[in-house]
Amino acid sequence: MQEQIKEASYDVLVIGGGIAGGEAALNLANNGFKVLIIEKDLSIGGKMILLSKVFPTLDCSACITTPKVSEISRQPGITIFTGSEVKKIIKKTENSFEAEVLKNPRYVIVEECTACQLCEQACPVVVKDEYQFNLVGRKAAFIPFTIASPKVAAIDIGNCILCGACEKACPPKCIDFTQEKEEYTIKIKSVIIATGFKLFDPLMIPRYGFGLFKNIITSMQMERQLAPTRPFNTILRPGDGKVPCKVAYVLCTGSRDATIGNPVCSQICCMYSIKQAQLLMGALPMADVTIYYLNIRSFGKGFEEFYEQAKGMGVNFIKGKIGRISEKENGNLILRYEDINENKVKETEHDIVVLSVGVIANRDAATLFPDEQLKLDAFNFINQTDPLASPARTSIEGVFVAGTASGPMDIPDSILSAGSASAEAMSYLIQNK
Amino acid sequence: MATINPRFGEELKKYGAFDFNACYNCGNCTAVCSLSTEDDSFPREMVRFSVLGLEDDIKSSLKPWLCYYCGECTTNCPRTAYPGELMMSLRRWLTSVYDWTGLSGLLYKSLPLSIFAFILAALGVIIFSVQEKFDLATIMHYGHYFEMYAILTVFGVILLPNIIRMWWFVILKPEIKVSFKNYLSGFWELMVHMFTQKRALGCDDNQLRWFEHFILVIGYLGLLFTTVVLDWFSSGSLFITVLGYLLSIIVFTITVIFVSERIRKKKELSKFSQPSDWLFVIWLFLMGLSAFGVRVFIDTKILENNIWIYLLHLIILVQWALIIVPFGKWTHFLYRSFAMYFAKLR
Repeated sequence: MQEQIKEASYDVLVIGGGIAGGEAALNLANNGFKVLIIEKDLSIGGKMILLSKVFPTLDCSACITTPKVSEISRQPGITIFTGSEVKKIIKKTENSFEAEVLKNPRYVIVEECTACQLCEQACPVVVKDEYQFNLVGRKAAFIPFTIASPKVAAIDIGNCILCGACEKACPPKCIDFTQEKEEYTIKIKSVIIATGFKLFDPLMIPRYGFGLFKNIITSMQMERQLAPTRPFNTILRPGDGKVPCKVAYVLCTGSRDATIGNPVCSQICCMYSIKQAQLLMGALPMADVTIYYLNIRSFGKGFEEFYEQAKGMGVNFIKGKIGRISEKENGNLILRYEDINENKVKETEHDIVVLSVGVIANRDAATLFPDEQLKLDAFNFINQTDPLASPARTSIEGVFVAGTASGPMDIPDSILSAGSASAEAMSYLIQNK
Repeated sequence: MATINPRFGEELKKYGAFDFNACYNCGNCTAVCSLSTEDDSFPREMVRFSVLGLEDDIKSSLKPWLCYYCGECTTNCPRTAYPGELMMSLRRWLTSVYDWTGLSGLLYKSLPLSIFAFILAALGVIIFSVQEKFDLATIMHYGHYFEMYAILTVFGVILLPNIIRMWWFVILKPEIKVSFKNYLSGFWELMVHMFTQKRALGCDDNQLRWFEHFILVIGYLGLLFTTVVLDWFSSGSLFITVLGYLLSIIVFTITVIFVSERIRKKKELSKFSQPSDWLFVIWLFLMGLSAFGVRVFIDTKILENNIWIYLLHLIILVQWALIIVPFGKWTHFLYRSFAMYFAKLR
């Protein structure tokens, strides 16, 4: 494969186009700095763009993210590479870096695609839709999701059978199977790492039976079922498509649990579960929702009121960690736990179980700097060398961290953290002019 | 009203417990325990009692004995607080609480004292043999008498009063009313649990372990019966001779399995061994092996010139009967089955 080497220079390289990376990039660009965002996914917006509503205000997440994302895309000072990854970053001088960036082919000419979706209709291949967290299928020629940015089709070449149906169906003829990987060498003065987090994989807790029992889903799958662009237009349990009437939330799935190597609190699961419980009470007025918790950590502004509100709406809260889950023949699930307030082990039947999965460090950024040492903390998040005086600073001069790359946090804190990263980067850039 | 006693934790640590203060009361241990039921939920409650130092609540509880240590709670504990090992330590502690002489506690807590007691027992046998001028017939005669009287004395003076104390702690003191009829009708339960340990089958993936343990108990009790009542070492009957061989082989082969498991530390229950655990399995092994050896020497007619093998067996026997049986881990045989009996009564 022929490699195309292209060179360019920017003030700041932002790794990750989620809400933290986007916010940091926007702040920098609005102040006249030239920014390059490298996003691994096909759309910017990160995890927030896929959410239903945000706690504790119950604002529509898409309604906040979509204008933000389009502002980021339209800002002339920001260049965005989607479907791309940073291979490595080398410190060239005291205050300059050189980054190697790999842009994967989308097999669609971005500028010409009108998002008409005719390629999607033509494509005969159906695979699981990762943007709906495998709840439904998508085609191999597809638009990632309705509010994606850029809203442009892409070919999933790994699953494509190269039948050419999409090429024939495309009115502007923008599908181009001759596209190849492009490599860029980019000169930059500063880096902001905003690689976000990974969701805990509940397959690591076999006694919960996730993956084995059809009616156990993750909180992100429930989030998609509650979102405005939801796949089923109602809440269904995946096993048989029944509308559930007894929902259980299993808190601390993959958080505060030394057995899976993550002994710390993920900081968001209590609140997003309480939020989903409230949304479920609206979506399924007849349903019982029970949240099994260890401790409810409603520490943020408005969080305690939000928790009280959920209790007032009739959400059941039971103190006790779920020990085991087993499945009945009808697909219902038996949850075994100790009711801490009664000192008794109990078994309760639910027809759908939502595992409130925790926040795990994304270690992708750890290996980007072959010559420097990017320090990680005990839980593999990026270490903040001076969390009180300069929270965005990392162990490498000129490299800053924004959002959940530095540790578990909610959306307002991520945006605050992005603000601090962009401010510190700006001050660094001005001082090193 | 309960009085909190944080120092109790320090005391428990001497019985092998550790890290249980890390518990954040999620109840995962109780939920994953296959023996835990709505009426008898453990081990979290016991962890809580231990952290708070609620000694009276632990004394009146049968829950430590209802646990058969599959180790699921420890494997799945999100705080690595080792609840399984805490339950094990509580059983050791309770053994010392039930023991009116207080010697159990001293021996559990102090390895030097245990070693001293073992040496003392060995010296006793040696001095006795010297006095008898190493006359095999006399020593064997007294050895056989020792077995019979030791069993009766240990049971009558130590074990029976201790069982009564256990009964006091778990039934009388908490003022639980049990009719005489229930005492009688529950007796079958006692026998079943004493000789089958069937509750251990309720633990996850424990069939093999239960079977090994069951065979060992049968082998041990059988060997005891064969040597004491059937007088294996003096018997001329082929049936008794072969039976004795078979039972002693069972005892020392199964204990080899148990000892090697404790060395390999693969299962939760064999990861942490206190001196009392080692002494129990190793002495059981030595008893089986030395008894086997004595009978082999008798049958090959070389015992007359090799009296040391019988002395060795006698030393092991005396140490076993006077230290491990009344004050050591042997007592779990009684406390476990009586716990099931008392649980049934309650």
